[in-house]
Amino acid sequence: MRVPIFWRRPLLVAVVLGCTMSLITSAGLTLRLAGPATFYWSFVPLAEIAGLAAVCWPGRRALSFSRQVDLFFAGHGPWLFWLIGLCAIWSFVPPIEAFACTKVWLYGAGAIVIVWSAFIDFRFFRFAMERSPARAARDLLLQRLISWTIIIAIFGGPAIPPEIAARLVGFGL
Amino acid sequence: MTALRWTAAGLLLASIAVGTIGDASRVRPHLMLGGCRVVAADFHVHSFPLSWATLAPWDTAWEAQRQGLDAIAIVGHNHVWVSKVGRWLSRMTGGPLVLTGEEIVSAHYHLLAIGIDSTIDWRQSATSAIEQVHRQGGVAIAAHPLAQYWTAYDAQARHTLDVAEVLHPIAHASEDLAAQLRTFYSSAPLTAIGDSDYHGLGPIGLCRTYVFTKEETEQGILDALRHGRTVVYDRAGNAYGDAALIRLAAGNLLRATPAAGLLSMFSRLAGILGLIAVALQGSAWRCPTGLR
Repeated sequence: MRVPIFWRRPLLVAVVLGCTMSLITSAGLTLRLAGPATFYWSFVPLAEIAGLAAVCWPGRRALSFSRQVDLFFAGHGPWLFWLIGLCAIWSFVPPIEAFACTKVWLYGAGAIVIVWSAFIDFRFFRFAMERSPARAARDLLLQRLISWTIIIAIFGGPAIPPEIAARLVGFGL
Repeated sequence: MTALRWTAAGLLLASIAVGTIGDASRVRPHLMLGGCRVVAADFHVHSFPLSWATLAPWDTAWEAQRQGLDAIAIVGHNHVWVSKVGRWLSRMTGGPLVLTGEEIVSAHYHLLAIGIDSTIDWRQSATSAIEQVHRQGGVAIAAHPLAQYWTAYDAQARHTLDVAEVLHPIAHASEDLAAQLRTFYSSAPLTAIGDSDYHGLGPIGLCRTYVFTKEETEQGILDALRHGRTVVYDRAGNAYGDAALIRLAAGNLLRATPAAGLLSMFSRLAGILGLIAVALQGSAWRCPTGLR
């Protein structure tokens, strides 16, 4: 049975997310954790598809939306390696020391991945979607704004306003 | 490319199979000391969604059981509904005792409200929030009370506060932070607890509290917290809490971290190699247009 092209790579991202949740929590890959986590962490690829639909739907040309989704998710390699790095830390480093490594990985490697994936996705909009450079940059920003807002709202939710307030207090504002 | 796909699938399946076979709960014998049941608890556990946590409430409860915990408090950031879902699901499936709660995340303090039913607004002073926790029959806990939060706990707040986290994973990051937690705990007559502030990284109950309770119920645990019947051990084996209970426990509660078995190591290694193979197959590193 062939998985329809629309779901193939988003499904892989969800599976990697599910396996990551299992490995970072229990330092092992179990069906008990990886199975359900793959299901509820699929909100991440779904939010990204929503962001992509918002910017691509009006201007789609030669490519079908399924193909657009497939190609867009092919650019997720840097994010997958970032997640795998997190898995490696929590699988092989003792928990107390792993917290310190995680901080470096989350922010250090995370910054590199944000830039790298933006570069790949810019090229997706520029060459796969045949946008002008300015339009490709606009689409990239809009896609990030929509999908990341959804992801952060679901993941962090009600703690965000007081956390922002705490930062402002910290800066004396 | 096909070979890489098969390799990825094979490694992941082998890893999941071995990991699932070895996925057993740690059986902790019921321990009675001084006429009390000793309950291993973690009162600062977050669950997906809305709290920067990775595991759903049902997974959180089961994972807590696997880590040898008898009770946990699932605390949502400024909401209680996820903890209510967790309590209901754990009851339905025979999981550990789940206490409902909220971490009141304000700009000036973080306060755990355990045993409450309705969300408490974060836009108020610590004193006022503690009062609301008590009005709902709950217990108020100063969450990771580092120096930056001390000004929020004025004399009245410290007088009405029930519990403070004297042990938290941040204490392992530096001796200075650990000292700040101990200083706050010593600043008022508070019950000592150790919590993992679990968001999905590492094991639940990395820092835990031994509660000496007359009955293993939500009310029994809340009552024990109100009356200071707890013992907490840090990494070096130093104990905090009720002096008489510490003497009574006398090392009975210290737990050794179990070493990872060969099968567990295989599961981890195969899982990570499998994920690398998944990431390598079909990913574009510069531009995705050339892919099929």
